[in-house]
Order: sequence, then structure tokens, then C-alpha cells
Amino acid sequence: MSLLERPYYPDYSSAPIQHQFSPYADNGGSVVAIAGDDFVVIAADTRLSTGFSIYTREQKKLFPLSDGTILGCAGCWCDTLTLTRILKSRMQMYQHEHNKTMSTTACAQMLSTLLYYKRFFPYYISNVLVGFDTEGKGCVFSYDPIGHCEKTKYKAGGSAGALLQPLLDNQIAHTNLDKVPKEPLTVEKALALLKDVFISAAERDIYTGDNVLINIVTKDGIKEEHFDLRKD
Amino acid sequence: MFLTRSEYDRGVNTFSPEGRLFQVEYAIEAIKLGSTAIGICTSEGVVLAVEKRITSPLMEPTTIEKIVEVDKHIGCAVSGLMADSRTMIDRARIECQNHWFVYNENISVESCAQGVSNLAIQFGDSDDDGAAMSRPFGVAILFAGIDEKGPQLYHMDPSGNFVQFDAKAIGSGSEGAQQSLQEVYHRSMTLEEATTSALTILKQVMEEKLNASNVEVMTMTPKDLFHMFTKEQVEEALKKIDMPSEVQHPALSQIGERKKTENVK
Amino acid sequence: MSILAYNGGAMVAMKGDQCVAIAADRRFGVQAQTISTNFEKIFNMGPHLYCGLPGLATDTQTVMEKLKFRKNLYELKENRMMSPKVFASMLSNMLYEKRFGPFFVEPVVAGLMPKTYEPYICNMDLIGCINAPDDFVVGGTASAQLYGMCEALWQPNLGPDDLFETASQALINAFDRDAISGWGATVYIIEKDKITVRNLKTRMD
Repeated sequence: MSLLERPYYPDYSSAPIQHQFSPYADNGGSVVAIAGDDFVVIAADTRLSTGFSIYTREQKKLFPLSDGTILGCAGCWCDTLTLTRILKSRMQMYQHEHNKTMSTTACAQMLSTLLYYKRFFPYYISNVLVGFDTEGKGCVFSYDPIGHCEKTKYKAGGSAGALLQPLLDNQIAHTNLDKVPKEPLTVEKALALLKDVFISAAERDIYTGDNVLINIVTKDGIKEEHFDLRKD
Repeated sequence: MFLTRSEYDRGVNTFSPEGRLFQVEYAIEAIKLGSTAIGICTSEGVVLAVEKRITSPLMEPTTIEKIVEVDKHIGCAVSGLMADSRTMIDRARIECQNHWFVYNENISVESCAQGVSNLAIQFGDSDDDGAAMSRPFGVAILFAGIDEKGPQLYHMDPSGNFVQFDAKAIGSGSEGAQQSLQEVYHRSMTLEEATTSALTILKQVMEEKLNASNVEVMTMTPKDLFHMFTKEQVEEALKKIDMPSEVQHPALSQIGERKKTENVK
Repeated sequence: MSILAYNGGAMVAMKGDQCVAIAADRRFGVQAQTISTNFEKIFNMGPHLYCGLPGLATDTQTVMEKLKFRKNLYELKENRMMSPKVFASMLSNMLYEKRFGPFFVEPVVAGLMPKTYEPYICNMDLIGCINAPDDFVVGGTASAQLYGMCEALWQPNLGPDDLFETASQALINAFDRDAISGWGATVYIIEKDKITVRNLKTRMD
């Protein structure tokens, strides 16, 4: 038997152990946002984890940047902390320099440039930004870690993003359906759907669970809601 | 002012015992040698009119550019040292493009002026940003633009100080022109009225005879944004000021009926 | 990229009330390039037994041939049909024989147990670890999307028509969000005295 065919047991190896530093951590978490004509809802689970262990079951991942703009972040938590602090200070600086609050669309573009400025050492975050566009309609902006920005009506991001996005396609955009309901999306329908998708995500994604924090943005301001998810 | 001239008028970093910065004051004086520029802000838009000094018949008048486009929604008229103005206009354009790049929206006229002002006050000592400027810019600028607050007119002097105006004149004929503007201006002015008034006043204060090649006219409206008059359009506008003033613009003859008072030194 | 994602493909099987569904996409591609849109990944292995083999296309076909060979031999020797459960065990064993040089397929088995006609579904990893839940199983490159869809759409005791609709919607919406699966779908509904096969038209991009 040649040497190559023998199984390799790292614990019994006498070869030198190589250590490596990784600048990134994946702390999981999912963000879902749904926009209607006169509202937008954004929700994120509250589990913060690494690998098979949970740091906390009550981490808020939604960041109100102004009265009508909210950012949801999932991914590397340390990057989230830094990015949101930078955003907060940039919002304040804009307020001082231009004597007005930054609009959601301006904020969306700024976030894109902020991310791209770290093109070669990116913030490892799934960002979803919600608010109202220039026509006053609810809107969702979603990003990749290096600043690609897309304006949509709904988005699932984070660790369960792949699980939930096709479901939102089907239930909100009514893809692959023969009889498409014509009535516009209501807050109630959006909230019910939001709860359904998070329950589904918590079933299959170990990085999503514990609790969901929902922010409902309307012309009157931001309203908070919670609901429980499975904790295993 | 010139009587109190002393050792203190050399450096730009030194106040005189009376608390004055002579170099800055001289720079403001320098504007008064420049060609006259007039800006009027109405509810329909802003108009800028500038005289061009044709010092030689061999000169090509179109190459004198005193009104420039900074962005689609902001235009500037300059008076004073033209070479200095290029640097400032460059900065204004960079401010506009940078704001669009970062925020995907048009910069406000005030913020654009603020950006240029930040450049204008860097005439002091050298710092980390680079070498010092030797002197203040010898330029006054009128910013005409449209933003979410509507049509706006700002004036900036070499000290970097900038103020919003309903109507403002700069350059050699500015004192007389400003007086006339105060008499003519009223809140419900149309853009066409404003254009005619601007040209009428320009005609009054200019040494040369006003014609289509020694004046530049620009309008800034919410619909067309920056629009520079063609030679034909200037000629068209000039025709109106040749009519008797009582018929065309009664406001010009109603001296003393001031709707708005701007106190200018 | 994983060799399991070389050709692409999506597969789902679901339990219903006295019926099972198994469905797959019809794409055959090499990485991003689509070669054909009529590639079958689900194979008939008996009157009430189907087996789907998403993964590396060459192994899909090799494993299918080997399975037919072993199944036929079993049926000749035993003189009886092979039940889905036995079939799954045989497949699992066959895959584990190649523990250190596996076939790159993640099989899905769906069928009705002989005599009782009780629904049976299972899937396994490429080395034969069986998972036989009460609801649904998924496989292929769109498995994350399928889990999300199925978890929300599936409910117990669906009749054959509802099961067809549920499986189809789950599959199509899932593979629409996967770049390397789709291009049409095939759905099998297995009932006691009826097998329904439907080819679905879907978006082809």
C-alpha cells in the first residue's frame, strides 16, 4: 500500500500545524423587506451566532438611519457595527452640510459608494435598505458586499436569503401563477407573509431563529413589532 | 481705506490693528475693475447677464466665457480675474459631480457655493493639504441654480463669504446697477421681464454700446435648466429694450416703489 | 466549484394522501452553458417506483444503469417486485461501496410501498446516507431555494391534484432563482392505479 492511500488523521500527524488568521466571521442572520405603495416593512431575526454556537438570542439587526430610512444587516457582525457607525455619522454630516435630512435614495447611493470604497477588503454584509423613493412610494434597496445596488419591491437577504427569495417571488410578484390577484399589497398581507417566511427559514437555517424584529415604516413614522421563532 | 495703508497690507495672515485683512479687502476692490454681471432671481427662474469687454476688434468675442455651466442645474457668472475664476469653477463642478456620485441627486445651490467658499478661504498659510495660496482669489461669482427650494441666486466675494440674493450686480458697474436693481425688482417679476431689466441696466452701466456680441445671457428654469442664449436670442432680447421703457417694463420707471431692499456696501 | 454543481439540476419529492410526487428540471448544461433542455433525471424503476439522480450527469446515467442491473437481478432471483424501501437500501449500499471515490449524485427516491400503497420518499447524500422524512425531500443545485419553497407550501394529506400544484410551484419558483437549473420541468404523480407525467413549460432563461 502506498503512502498516499492511507487515511489522514490530523491529531496523530507530526507535521507542523499551520495557523491562519481570517479577518472575517459569518455571524448569520436573515433580513426580509417588503415594500407597498404607501408603506414598507423590514424584518430581521435576532439570533447572533458563529458556527454551531449562539452568541445571543436578542441582537437587533435593524438600524433606523432617519425617520423614513432603515437599514437591515446580516453577515459579519463586526463589519456591521463599523459600517452602521460610519453611516450614522455620514447622515449627521449631511444634515449639517446641506441643512436637510438625507433622502432614502441618496442614502442608498451613499451606501453603494461606501461599500465600493472597500472593493478589495469589503464589508462582509448583506445589506437591505428600505424607505420611500422620490415619488413617495415604498422601496427596497439590496446590496452585495462590494456595493452593487438594486432597487426592488421585496428582498430576502442574509443566511436564509436563498431559501426565501423564490417564495417572495411567488407570493408577492406572483411568478408562475395563472390567476394573478390584482389587488395591491396591504400591510396586513405583507406582515402575514413576513411571519410565514421567517417560520420557514427557521425550520431549515440554523443561523435564523429565536425572534423576529419587524419595523413598519409609513408616512406616520416607524412602528416596531416582534414575534417568536423556534429557539433550537 | 487707502489712507490707512501700512505694513499690514502685505501678508494675508496678518490683521491690522484695526482688525482688517487688507489683502482681502484689496481683492474685493479688484472685482470692481471686472466686467459687470447681473443676476435676477424670479419665481420662474434665474437670469444672468454679463458684459464682455471687447478690447480689440481683432479679438474673437465668443472665446470670452463669463457665464459657465457648472452642472445642468447650476450656472455661474464671474467677474474679476478670469484665470482665478477657472480654478473656482473647476471646484464648483467637482462639488456637483461628487455630490451626484455619492448621493445620486442634484446638489443644492447653497451647498455648491459652500464648496467653492471652502476653496476661497484657503488663502492662509500652508497646511497638511498642501502649499499655501499666495493671495485670495480676485473673483466674485453669481451662482444661479434650481434645486428643491426652486430658483436660487447666490453671490460670493473673494473672502469666501456668500449670501443669497433676489437680484445682484457685480463688477465695475455694480454700484449703479445694484441701485437700479433695487428699484426695478419685485416679487412677481416674470423671467422675460427680468431678462429685459437685466439687459436694460447693463446697457446703462456699460461703457461700450450694448450689442449681441458683447453680452452673454443665460437663463436657468425648472424646465430647461441651464440655457445659454444664442446670438439670435440675444438680438431678440435686445430689441425689447430699445422700446420705450414705460411700455415694455413699467417697473423701470417706477423709481422709489421698492418692494425689496438689499443693503449693499 | 463542486463537481456536484457541474451540470446543474433541481429535484423535489413530496408525500401526499395516498400519493407521492417527484419532480425535476430538464436542463443539461456544462457550468453556465446550456447544452440541452430535454434531459431526464428521473427514472422509472418499477410500477410504483421512481428514482431521481441529480448531480454530475455522467454519474446520473451510470448509476441509473447500475441500479437497473441490480434491481433486475433482484427481481429475477426473488421473483417479486422491489419495494421503494429495499430499492433505497440497495442504492445506499451501492453508493457506500464507493465511499472514497463516490458517484457525484444525490439521489431522491419516491414511490408507493407494495400492497399497502403507503407513500415512501427519501433522499441521500453522494455516499448513501438515507434521509426519509414525513414531508418532502430535495436535491440538486437549487436545494436551498427548494427548502424555502417546500417549507412554506407543503401541508399534510394533499390530494393528487393539490400535490401536483404544490410540487410544481415549489420546483419552478425555486429553480427560477438558480442560474444552472430550469429550462422546463417534469412532474410525476404516483397513485395506486395511476401514474401521471406532466412536462411543464417554464421560463427558459
